[in-house]
Amino acid sequence: MAHRLETAFKPELFDAEGSGIKNKALSYFNICTESVRTVNIVTIDKDLGPDQLEAVRTEIFTNPVTRVSSFMPLDISFDWCIWVGYRPGVKDNPGHTAIEAIEDVLGVSFSEDEGVYTSRRYCIKGADLNRKDAETIAGELLANDIIQQVKIFSADDWDPKTGIGVIIPRVYLDHTPTVTTIPIESDQALKQVSDARNLALNPNDIPVIRKYFLDPEVRAKRKSVGLDEPTDVELEYISQARSDHCNHNTFRGRFYYKDWTTGKSETIDSLFKTFIETPTLKLQEKKDWVVSVLWDNAGVGRFDESHYYVITGETHNSPSNMEAYGGAITGIVGVYRDPLGTGKGSRLIMGSYGFCVGDRDYNGELKPRLHPRRLLDGIIEGVRDGGNKSGIPTPFGQVTFHPGYMGKCLVFVTALGMMPSEVAGTPAEQKTTSPGDLVLMCGGRVGKDGIHGVTASSEIFTEHTPAGHVQIGDPYTQKKMHDFLLEARDRGLIQFVTDNGGGGLSSSVGESARLSGGCVVWLDRVPLKYAGLDQWEIWVSESQERMTVAVRPEDVDQFLALSEKHAVESTVIGKYTDSGNLHITYQGDTCAYVSMDFLTRGFPKWEFEAEWMPPEMRGLYEPVLGEPTDYAGLLKDILARPNICSREWIIRQYDHEVQGSSVIKPLVGKDRDVNSDACVIRPVLTSERGLAFSQALLPFYSAIDAFHMTACTIDEAVRRLVAVGGDPDHIGGVDNFCWPNIQFDPKGNPDGKFKAAQLVRSCKALSETCLAYDVPLLSGKDSMYVDGHLPGGYGETHKLSALETMQFSATSVIEDINCCVTMDLKFPGDLLYVIGETKDELGASEYYDRFGYTGLNVPCLKPDHLLPVYKAVHKAVCRRFASAVHGVYRGGLGVHLALCAIAGNLGLNVDLDLIPVSRHLRPDHLLFSESPGRFIVTVDPKDRTGFEAFLQDHPFACIGKVTEDGVFGLRNDGRNLVSISVEELKSTWKRPFENLV
Amino acid sequence: MASDNTNCKVNALVLTGYGLNCDVETAHACELAGARAVCVHINDLIAGTVHLEDFRLMIFIGGFSWGDDHGAGVVQAVRMKKNAGDRILRFIDKGNLVLGICNGFQTLVNLGLLPGFEGNYQDRSVALTHNDCGNFRDDWVNLQINTATPCIFTKGLEYIELPVRHGEGKFIADDSVIERLMSQNQVVCRYASSDGSSAKGRFPQNPNGSINDIAGICDPTGRIFGLMPHPEAFNHPSNHPDWPRLKHMTLRGLISPDAFYASGLRIFKNAVQYFQ
Repeated sequence: MAHRLETAFKPELFDAEGSGIKNKALSYFNICTESVRTVNIVTIDKDLGPDQLEAVRTEIFTNPVTRVSSFMPLDISFDWCIWVGYRPGVKDNPGHTAIEAIEDVLGVSFSEDEGVYTSRRYCIKGADLNRKDAETIAGELLANDIIQQVKIFSADDWDPKTGIGVIIPRVYLDHTPTVTTIPIESDQALKQVSDARNLALNPNDIPVIRKYFLDPEVRAKRKSVGLDEPTDVELEYISQARSDHCNHNTFRGRFYYKDWTTGKSETIDSLFKTFIETPTLKLQEKKDWVVSVLWDNAGVGRFDESHYYVITGETHNSPSNMEAYGGAITGIVGVYRDPLGTGKGSRLIMGSYGFCVGDRDYNGELKPRLHPRRLLDGIIEGVRDGGNKSGIPTPFGQVTFHPGYMGKCLVFVTALGMMPSEVAGTPAEQKTTSPGDLVLMCGGRVGKDGIHGVTASSEIFTEHTPAGHVQIGDPYTQKKMHDFLLEARDRGLIQFVTDNGGGGLSSSVGESARLSGGCVVWLDRVPLKYAGLDQWEIWVSESQERMTVAVRPEDVDQFLALSEKHAVESTVIGKYTDSGNLHITYQGDTCAYVSMDFLTRGFPKWEFEAEWMPPEMRGLYEPVLGEPTDYAGLLKDILARPNICSREWIIRQYDHEVQGSSVIKPLVGKDRDVNSDACVIRPVLTSERGLAFSQALLPFYSAIDAFHMTACTIDEAVRRLVAVGGDPDHIGGVDNFCWPNIQFDPKGNPDGKFKAAQLVRSCKALSETCLAYDVPLLSGKDSMYVDGHLPGGYGETHKLSALETMQFSATSVIEDINCCVTMDLKFPGDLLYVIGETKDELGASEYYDRFGYTGLNVPCLKPDHLLPVYKAVHKAVCRRFASAVHGVYRGGLGVHLALCAIAGNLGLNVDLDLIPVSRHLRPDHLLFSESPGRFIVTVDPKDRTGFEAFLQDHPFACIGKVTEDGVFGLRNDGRNLVSISVEELKSTWKRPFENLV
Repeated sequence: MASDNTNCKVNALVLTGYGLNCDVETAHACELAGARAVCVHINDLIAGTVHLEDFRLMIFIGGFSWGDDHGAGVVQAVRMKKNAGDRILRFIDKGNLVLGICNGFQTLVNLGLLPGFEGNYQDRSVALTHNDCGNFRDDWVNLQINTATPCIFTKGLEYIELPVRHGEGKFIADDSVIERLMSQNQVVCRYASSDGSSAKGRFPQNPNGSINDIAGICDPTGRIFGLMPHPEAFNHPSNHPDWPRLKHMTLRGLISPDAFYASGLRIFKNAVQYFQ
């Protein structure tokens, strides 16, 4: 019999969650409620006696100071009551910890058939509320129907005895696991099965697959293990491995690139090899700090003699677009497994985020599944819980608003780890599997969740995308596993470790078995969340929080004992061999038998036509825009734009100081409220060395040319590091591409050739810029198909493609963190310098966007000129000549001079005529041009000579002074252009999101 | 109180596992304060493979034990009480020190070790609940220290700045309990404004809506101390948000380099010095 316990805050106490819902209902939907009270419900599906129930109620679920509780419905009055619970099979993290707690208190254990399920009901008062209001609150604020179920009660509907009833969302699969064979008599037959089963096999792959299974030699071998036609386990495995997500078919594809300006054509055989691998290998030879790149789950750089840092980036776009919280938490918790699975394992030391969504206040007629505001709320919360509950600081992040992300949002997540250079006397970055090693699966259990996630993210989002791949990450389970694996690593028990991400076991075991040359997997030993999964489902499920580990047989007892101590489930599920085959059995019967090298041979490359039309030919031009007169009003308007204004509300939700390593925080300045250029942490607490980290996102420039978008993005990330004290001689990069579909289709994707050309150009810029800046690519990632089909006002649909986007992350090692500097003005009287030239580069700028223009003159990077400038700035910073350093980014000098003043609560007095230029510019162009390569620096007048000596070969000028009067003063041509209080600028900059917490 | 052998380092037990996460920096802060820190998994303590008798200081650290799913610190307290409650009481009885930081503080109040009125270390009479702002918040706070408190950990301190990072830090209790805590000087630290005056409940100086701005309390003996802010996260001068400004002020001779100190360590040093 099941027992339903309800708990709530005592009536006299403030209900913060309820109050938050009340506020959102009003501000989002103009629904006025009198009060919202939250009731937590724990449904225990287990026979327990009255004494046991009372013990559970009082000792676990009812804080005597704050809560009331009852196994009967609590008597809390309402006009409408909304109950929200998970659908069967959705991860219920509190339900799992409740089981642990009940087992502890009662000394009992739960059987497979028993469980605990948590849910909530919200008691809403408001005399004027109607059912439609309740439905809006339920559907738009409280629940997402793909993971949750909802019941709405009016006061009249409610039976005080039964309440919500007893709802047990347990998964029952009345199903006997079955292996199905797939007919391959023709390409057509296989194609049909692929479509019917959502295998997403590429039509060009089908003949190769058939050829393999029809090969007489292969057939003879298969016969010896009892197989004939391919099984669903095998085809699902091949489908996963060949997906764009796992195999990067786009980046490894062949591009026929044609430039309409020159009429020249070229063929690029692989973007990855040409533009990522080649420059990185070249730079690895030059930079001895590059330890391990291009093969593992993350790249590895040297931090000091005895420590290496590890970095990688990921995105989790499609799932977040469907279920923002679940998708985002799964994304951040997932990327944290990459450093954990790099080398023999790394401790996580920080994470970061980049969110791209539609306009938060969108009120047009398109109907995205989740409104951008709701989407952003959910994403913020997901990454918050994933990072904070993992005990990993999140000291950097960015948010970009653009209508193009209404089709699909972007959720970038980046993870950094730290490993000792040696583990148990062996190099920590190296790992391999050997014949005889056992295959262990650690962490979570396997369920139906996440099946076909990989293939779904390789498709365009439509109304019919199955929601089954949406999951909810569990940082608690993973944190336990993290602590366990690091202890096992330090004891020398781990030969190889990798995470289970896209493709699940099929990918982690399949890939690691290539090193030993084969494996046997006993699928029936894999622990399941519930019975009834087919064999192929166990093999490809993407259930989260799992790692695959190779352990020597002689170490396995110790490994399992340690696992038990950490309350982590670990199971031997197979053995690595050198048989040359991937061999999977279930209860003794073979269900898959595939040659290890099959996936690496004979598959055709994907091919893309790419045609570049330069912006002039596409009809872009500079707007005819006369000079404004109200510069103060203009500056304030730009400061309040969504992509410029303060997002303190997001930053403070993220723990950016856990691990005690914080040096430069995400918010700096006198009031600690302005974004720093980059963050710096001190990951080895006994050392004064630091690790600087920054990111940049400038997708706007892709509207003109993705080449310059990419070059400027890399420059910004690099310059951000230099601004805080990063060393230009040690900068590692991570590229993270999110691109719309580039496969031309005359009806479905008519501009596919152009988007493909943008990708080629972006990759060219990546390679050129990284080589010029000496930035090896430590890791990288690509996510294609950032498109969506949105319903409009009449039932029609519209395809929306995101701007071609590449996020760039950069790290630098700082020898002495005492040299680090922040961007806030600090001392009245300090000289104010601008370094770098300002040019007529307002194309796709924030300024032009204010008036709805794109323009033509996109910012162009000259990296060869800039690197020496950055080295000079770095030297000046190391000599402590600079009291503030800030890069000039989106919005230009006007915005960034203002931010320096806002951060310091100090005024400045600047003569715009002194700004270094190559040719004369109008004041609005000087203030809002987004030319790369520029810094704002303040210097103590007594250090003037010393500082200027470092920069004598470069364009720079002292343009004014820091003042005490708190006035932001700009002069031009002898007249006062702007004279406004910094306080007013600050309140303007903070106002748009100031009511959000 | 002096230890048997003043040359011997004070052993500090730093409790880990089950989602706790401030182990590295807490152990580091202990070591900087002169202690010998040992990170011990909750299950090693319960199983008896590690003995509390070997330690003088026990630290319940910050983190999200059991995901904080059923009230922060609740499940940890249940497990510790059930499986090691007697040993912890004996440890306290012997005159040792207990420090609870953030999730550790939440655990101490759920165990009943705080407030510990009249030596009753079993009853829950205070709580740390959801922040009034409704969200997790990371910010630095100013703390007034009650100089009349018996708390061992804050000796010699009048004011300190530390980071808070929590979603459930609002201190509440019945009026009579608050009254008693105040009158017995068990309220150790309170949220304050940057000029040192009381925060008077104002957000964000008081980041969570705690009654009477209470940030930390001790038991009547002063040997058990719990607080929401994180002293271990101020283990180096560069942890302080103003340090780049302070550094340039020292470079220009505007302030003395003494202003440049990792004050969080004072909490740990006081604990170590108590035994020396």
